[in-house]
Amino acid sequence: MYQKVKRMTTTMRIFHWVNAFSILAAVITGLYIANPFYQTLISEPAAYKYVMAYNRLIHFFAALLLDVISIAIFYLYFASRFEKVYKKLIPTKQNIVEFFEVLLNLLTLNRRKKFDSSHLDSFNAVYFTILHLLLVWMLLTGFYMYVQGLESGLSAIGSWWPALLHLMTDWVGWLLGGHAGVRWWHHFTMWIILAWVAFHIYYQVWRTIFWREGDIAIVFGGYKFKKVQKQS
Amino acid sequence: MQFFDREHLRAVFSKPTNYINTNKGEAYYDALYRKMEKRLQELRAQKPVREAEIKFQELLETWDLTRRDFLKWVSATTAMLMLPAKFEPLVAQAAEVMDRVPIIWINIQDCAGNTEALLRSASPTVDELILEYLSVEYHEVIMAAAGDQAEENLEKAVKDFDGKYLLFVEGSIPVGMPEAFTIGRHPKTGVEHVKHLAEHAAAVIAVGSCAAFGGVPAAYPNPTGAVGVMDVVKGKPIINIPACPANPANITGVIIHYILTGEIPELDSLLRPKFAFGYRIHDNCERRAHFDAGEFVEEWGDEGAKNNFCLYKMGCKGPFTFNNCSIVRYNEGTNWPIGVGRGCIGCSEPGFWDKYATERPLADSDIKPPGINGVEATVDEVGLGILTATAIGIGIHAVASAIAGKREDSSKEEQ
Repeated sequence: MYQKVKRMTTTMRIFHWVNAFSILAAVITGLYIANPFYQTLISEPAAYKYVMAYNRLIHFFAALLLDVISIAIFYLYFASRFEKVYKKLIPTKQNIVEFFEVLLNLLTLNRRKKFDSSHLDSFNAVYFTILHLLLVWMLLTGFYMYVQGLESGLSAIGSWWPALLHLMTDWVGWLLGGHAGVRWWHHFTMWIILAWVAFHIYYQVWRTIFWREGDIAIVFGGYKFKKVQKQS
Repeated sequence: MQFFDREHLRAVFSKPTNYINTNKGEAYYDALYRKMEKRLQELRAQKPVREAEIKFQELLETWDLTRRDFLKWVSATTAMLMLPAKFEPLVAQAAEVMDRVPIIWINIQDCAGNTEALLRSASPTVDELILEYLSVEYHEVIMAAAGDQAEENLEKAVKDFDGKYLLFVEGSIPVGMPEAFTIGRHPKTGVEHVKHLAEHAAAVIAVGSCAAFGGVPAAYPNPTGAVGVMDVVKGKPIINIPACPANPANITGVIIHYILTGEIPELDSLLRPKFAFGYRIHDNCERRAHFDAGEFVEEWGDEGAKNNFCLYKMGCKGPFTFNNCSIVRYNEGTNWPIGVGRGCIGCSEPGFWDKYATERPLADSDIKPPGINGVEATVDEVGLGILTATAIGIGIHAVASAIAGKREDSSKEEQ
């Protein structure tokens, strides 16, 4: 007997996929911005094509989506009516034990499974939070570089915008050694995020195969399944 | 509606920040004009530092520079300092009273390239003449005195103009190995030299990237522990004029500003004057359209290079280098690095030799990853290393899981 367990609401699933495709778009366009890896057809004058400009536009829009959704997710961490993620992040004894139990489950290749796998566990809660911290880091380093293009102190939406960005991000340049350092870290953090994505996909597939609870279906349908022991 | 009043909205949306304000209003400029006039009168009342052998007017004639050349220079300098056109007479007068401000120019660890850039042009510009006209009390490269006589001159100048002279420093300061630089018969290390002279100066001007940020001597592994002036001198106004070499136009700009106001110009976070370092090379680059279009030079001498395409893929660091070369250019505005078809190496930024001058895009540059010494790799190599490590970890776990999982299955079936 299996019982259906709701794990993600429609909103959460939309957020997940917008995030996923935004990261994909940001990676592809970001690699182009860092080191243009394909050539523009040069049969037209420069004024008619904006290959780099469009790459940057997509990059910024993807970043914008990621930032806005991250803010929404941050809000939901505390205020969601469905599942308040922060409760799994507080380092209480119960959460710490659960975190290591899930880790042991992974390391012992599913030999040991002493936790309730039907709900969000502390291990995944921490792992998802790491991504959001990486995205905050991308936001800070990214806006540090972005505001350099607004060095006149003016922007289409007023000078408060570059002023705000300078206030929020100028310390990043001091920390990382100027523009070159910030660029290095922004690019390098992309690789960390890709490593994060690789493990994330692997781990969810692994859970689906070994736990046999249909975990991969969560992100598509919103449900997973929990084995119910027959009352005897 | 007060709130939707046009002026109020303008104020809300244009709060001064790092905003480079080129129009500060009539009242501000009137006050500034009066202040500058007063300052110039005071300076004119003073005698020149030494009895001038030659008047400024005569100096211009000697070098075949016409009044028109001079006026052109006056307009350009006024615009560069972001002052309205009515300040032009003041700038012209400032040039004439420049010999009232004593200057001491010292060289520490450097190639004297900034001095050379000033001296070695075929036809001196007004900028360069003005630097000649300045009352330079001590300059190791160009002075006639040598040995003990030179040392005496320096000590005399420090005593005579205590607290009044401008100290120009060229070259980085070897803090980690002070004995690496000594000068004179009574050896003083570069560190002592700079500290001593800065103590008695009115302001310190670091000319060139070495003096500003350590420059080439401070490149990895930095054997002498070279640093810039601002890391050694404390408690004095410091102005950095980086670039390799520093543009003479920016040096005279700073001096003219000091002559006119008795103050140093508005500086950015790296103590560079905003009038010169407020914008990126990229913002005013003549090849910018090709950057946005994605048209890049792929290799030297290809069709793109012949058509003046963007040099980003050849390692141009214009998108993150702050300087005014794309407007002012070098050698009387003749040309500048990107104009001659090679990328910017970011020579006015800190640490440029290690991070900027690689002639490749940053993502493709062999640079030292943060915190790891002795290794040079591109960011993509380091990143791919991390991704590979992740993939290996996943692979081991997957194979182990597959084998272990099967065993579990078979053991279950047996039961």
